[in-house]
Amino acid sequence: MEAMKKLASLWPIHLIVLVTAIIAQLIGVRAIPIGIGTILLLPLLFAFVFALALNPNVIKPIASVLSTKRVAAASPLIVIAIMPFIAKFGTTIGPAIEQVIEAGPALLLQELGNLGTILIAFPVAIWVFRMGRESIGAVHSIAREPNIAIIADRYGLRSAEGTGVVGVYVMGTLFGTFIFAILASLLATAEVFSIEALAMACGVGSGSMMAACAGALAEANPGASDTITALSGASNLLTYATGMYVSLFIALPLVEKIYVKVRPDDPGNKRTANVEESAR
Amino acid sequence: MTVYESEEDFIPTSDDRSMPIAATLQDLLIVSLISVPLQLIATDLSLGSVLGGLLALYGLCAVGLVLTKYVPFYLPSVAWISLVGIALTLPFWPWFDWFTGVVDGIDFLALAVPPLAYAGLAISKLEIDVMRRSGWKILIVAVLVFVGTYVGSAAIADFMLSVTS
Repeated sequence: MEAMKKLASLWPIHLIVLVTAIIAQLIGVRAIPIGIGTILLLPLLFAFVFALALNPNVIKPIASVLSTKRVAAASPLIVIAIMPFIAKFGTTIGPAIEQVIEAGPALLLQELGNLGTILIAFPVAIWVFRMGRESIGAVHSIAREPNIAIIADRYGLRSAEGTGVVGVYVMGTLFGTFIFAILASLLATAEVFSIEALAMACGVGSGSMMAACAGALAEANPGASDTITALSGASNLLTYATGMYVSLFIALPLVEKIYVKVRPDDPGNKRTANVEESAR
Repeated sequence: MTVYESEEDFIPTSDDRSMPIAATLQDLLIVSLISVPLQLIATDLSLGSVLGGLLALYGLCAVGLVLTKYVPFYLPSVAWISLVGIALTLPFWPWFDWFTGVVDGIDFLALAVPPLAYAGLAISKLEIDVMRRSGWKILIVAVLVFVGTYVGSAAIADFMLSVTS
């Protein structure tokens, strides 16, 4: 009875997903050649955009036919909908287990790739945009849920650092799949890194970011599809295990230290120093 | 259920063990049915093969969900599902050829379409507000964070692969 009631209230959501997904799949993969390579637009990106266009929080007039309360119910369905995809990735890792184990050292160490943000995002935040301690929250990680939990625990989300991490989190939720699809398709055609390395790097973010990334790589290298899914899936699984620790024990303390060095007079620095004092 | 009303709601609170299995399996069934026409468009498989492949993936998810709930240490459900998928497709199993044959033809890119459609619908007013408030500077920083992480990981992986092989 309860289940039937829930289904009755959710059917508009499922119906919209069914229709937008079919249209997106019919459009298929579109390649857009630009000077430095090719950008691949994938069905999953079209589906996201179509659903956004039907979201009453984004397009206000939709609210008269589809309430914001009703679409809020779509949120817990994201993780359920991604489960078959994750299962499929698992079934490509098993057969390739020897290859994955051989790539073990590379898989483990690329988890530190996170620190690349300190090289390119941190300087821009500090010296170009003159941002304050928001920059610590913004650049310490790729800002997925575990990283939010770390910042919330340490500084609180209403602090400057919290504003930074939430900002990047939301931008990632909205644009992350696009950024990953574009990055992966450009790098796949640029031939700077090997396809195995690019596949491993696909696993650093959320499941949908990995889908966009591995999808773009596989479209660019159809022959290597199984290797790409096996390595990116293994890397993503590893990220669940290690991502939080890299961010907590390495990236965050490092960014915090560099910030205090370059902005020694920021009054906010003291606040965290006090937090650390009292924690001891 | 996650309804974002304030920034604190972005902090993950409930863990996957609190997911009611029966309701999750029902939603999973609906999501799998939505995938049927997508697979028919994306692949050359027959309807029977699509149903068989999706049913096999459904089974892996179900086992993963049960493990999430009853194994005494905590891993997110997607991690368990991934591990079940790996464990059951290791090359030494007697069912290896049969099972990989069933799931092989399923197109992974088409499987990723429904979750993104749900994600597009689930974008909340708070998220739109945060985006407006944060402005283009945070957007650029976010893009650089993603580029930095991706290129950083690829560079380390590439270097490690070249020294170990």
